[in-house]
Amino acid sequence: MELSIEAQVLLETIVQALVNGISVGCLYGLMCLGLGLIFGIMRVINFAQGDFMMLGMYAAFYAFGGFSLSKILGQSIGPIVAALVAGPVIYTFGILMHRILISRVSGLSAATMENDGHNAQLILTLGIGLVLQNTGHIIFGSSPVSIRSPLSTTAWEIVIIRDQVSVIVNQARLISGLIAVAIAAVLSWFIFHSIIGKSARAAANNITASIYMGIDVDRCHRIFFGLGAGVTAIAGGLLALYYPFQPYVGMEFIIVMYTGVVLGGLGSIAGAFWGGLIIGIIQQMSTLILPNQLQNTATFFVFLLIIFFRPNGIFGKTTERA
Amino acid sequence: MKISRRRAIAGLAASSVFVSGSSFGQEKEIKVALIAPLSGPWARTGQLMKIGADMAIEDINKQGGVNINGGMKMRLVSADAGDSVERAKNAAQRFISQETDVVAGTGAWLSSFTIAVTEVTERAKLPWLTLSYADGITNRGFKYITQTNAISSVQAAAAMPDIVKLAEKATGQKPKTVAIISDSTATPQAFIDPLRKGGFEQLGIKIVSDQIYTPPLADAASIVQNLRALRPRPDFLLFYSTNIPDATLVLQKLHEFGMPQTKLPMIAPGAVHMGGPEMLKNVTPQMLEGTILVLANWTSKKQVSILPELEKRSGEPWITSDIISTYGDMYLIKDAIERCQSLDREKIMDALRNTNLKNGAADYYLGGNLSFDDAGRRIGAPTVFVQWRDGKPQTVSPESDAFMAPLWPRD
Repeated sequence: MELSIEAQVLLETIVQALVNGISVGCLYGLMCLGLGLIFGIMRVINFAQGDFMMLGMYAAFYAFGGFSLSKILGQSIGPIVAALVAGPVIYTFGILMHRILISRVSGLSAATMENDGHNAQLILTLGIGLVLQNTGHIIFGSSPVSIRSPLSTTAWEIVIIRDQVSVIVNQARLISGLIAVAIAAVLSWFIFHSIIGKSARAAANNITASIYMGIDVDRCHRIFFGLGAGVTAIAGGLLALYYPFQPYVGMEFIIVMYTGVVLGGLGSIAGAFWGGLIIGIIQQMSTLILPNQLQNTATFFVFLLIIFFRPNGIFGKTTERA
Repeated sequence: MKISRRRAIAGLAASSVFVSGSSFGQEKEIKVALIAPLSGPWARTGQLMKIGADMAIEDINKQGGVNINGGMKMRLVSADAGDSVERAKNAAQRFISQETDVVAGTGAWLSSFTIAVTEVTERAKLPWLTLSYADGITNRGFKYITQTNAISSVQAAAAMPDIVKLAEKATGQKPKTVAIISDSTATPQAFIDPLRKGGFEQLGIKIVSDQIYTPPLADAASIVQNLRALRPRPDFLLFYSTNIPDATLVLQKLHEFGMPQTKLPMIAPGAVHMGGPEMLKNVTPQMLEGTILVLANWTSKKQVSILPELEKRSGEPWITSDIISTYGDMYLIKDAIERCQSLDREKIMDALRNTNLKNGAADYYLGGNLSFDDAGRRIGAPTVFVQWRDGKPQTVSPESDAFMAPLWPRD
């Protein structure tokens, strides 16, 4: 089939935008998944989530360089393992944060607070974010860095129509996207089939009844807060393969995370992932018809449109919580 | 003996002459200001500026200080402009009210910060030097501001004809098409607008793609895909970014999509960040090789005797414009004070405006001659081309300052 030059260019551009959107969207989905666990299930407003991602990026960066994963595992596998290592590190940090600070303004403690503790959570997590950013600046400096690996700048060319249309798929992004999907699947299984997952979902529906049933709500929340931080940290570690970052990078993604979680539906883990994926796809596909400057405008326009027709988000349900 | 009230008052008045001392006593040191972002996303640049100023003052003091009142040492006092215009302005206001004996200053790097800071310094009648590019800095009718480089609009008008000549000399034909990628902030648009509105047309160049993005870039794939879709490929790319992550994303994507410098030469105006060693933490030297940066200042072959020592003292692999410019600013302030033999701000400002140097402090600014017009703009400021060659950015124009001849990247 011989296409005209214009048709080749158009088809190539559309397919390229879709491929880019899916690969970026999978990583957004993982970020949103982390926040979905905290905001969606625990109902904790966490404005430090972007900074947990930043910590994950630096954890991966130093695991790859400082702790010699690059020498042990090579330049291609090393960065992936470094990103995965960032997860447990920031999970532990998240657990500590919850135990020391977040537990005071969430869960049982928040039951008697004004507005269920949301005001206090907002202020506390904003403060945590500021401390993390500025401490990061002191420790890591302000120069942007990234994990330099052959994966970041090498791509596979996938032929759609021989000698006419092909798409270029960045290796780091494709691998990151596949890992993001795998982690989302594992986490989803964990939440729906493990005892702790069921306990957390029960606590999210009705804290009082959960306590009567013998569920340690505080422990559930702590584990999920840690998981939320850890998952977003892995997303950050994977992003660090191709995105230069500095201690203030979290501010660039926190809005994407909240938009994705709300778009997908509060309380829905799968929804959070899909919300992030949709944002990634819209960001890329919108450039086919709109100027690049309006990428974010298009994203929020679609967000508002979906919320208008489905106020609970795509996968959100109307439930009454006690 | 009883001391009357009149005698007591007379005695106090007499002793205050010795206490206040500015007319009769000598100041021990000359305080010079630096206002720059020392925290936040632009902290690295502010730190480089401070390094340059500190090294210059150290050298000046080792050489005996400023030749006034028997030799006076200089001292730098700095303030953090932070990460927003509001913070920069507040920093300047606090600084001016606290440091009343500062005689002159330099800063604040980002044009928007400089515009805010100089509103404060102008009211305080504090002489101010800046490397910032925006035309707006010196078109407000201010008397206490001096821009030590070519302004944005002049850079645009001067740079492109030279680029065209370079390309023609290397390839045997004039470039006919250009693609533009720029971020949406004021400085890039101020540079590119004149080119869009007839500048390129006058050079016989057609703009085949003009993409503007809002920084920070989340992803450069769609931007570079639009370039990839162009048939035929443009003769060169004009890329105006204002931060390292955006530049990194675009360079990586160009490389990935099969458009390295040898296939699509890149001209990057205002890209001081692309000349810094931090770029090599994010991209390989091969991705940068051949990129031509259009800047206001950089190092010169005339400085070759001092550069190795400055590199060693600063701890930097090479000296960037932020370091050499503030280094020069300190010498320029010293020179102005010595010419007017006064620490009075108005006299120092007059001396700065009447600067006409071919060496001394002028050695730290490219182009050879250092003089300013009534608005405080540098007369005859050259447009500087810096090109990445063998893993390091080198001045390639003007010829009087170039370390090597410019090269047009080709296969």
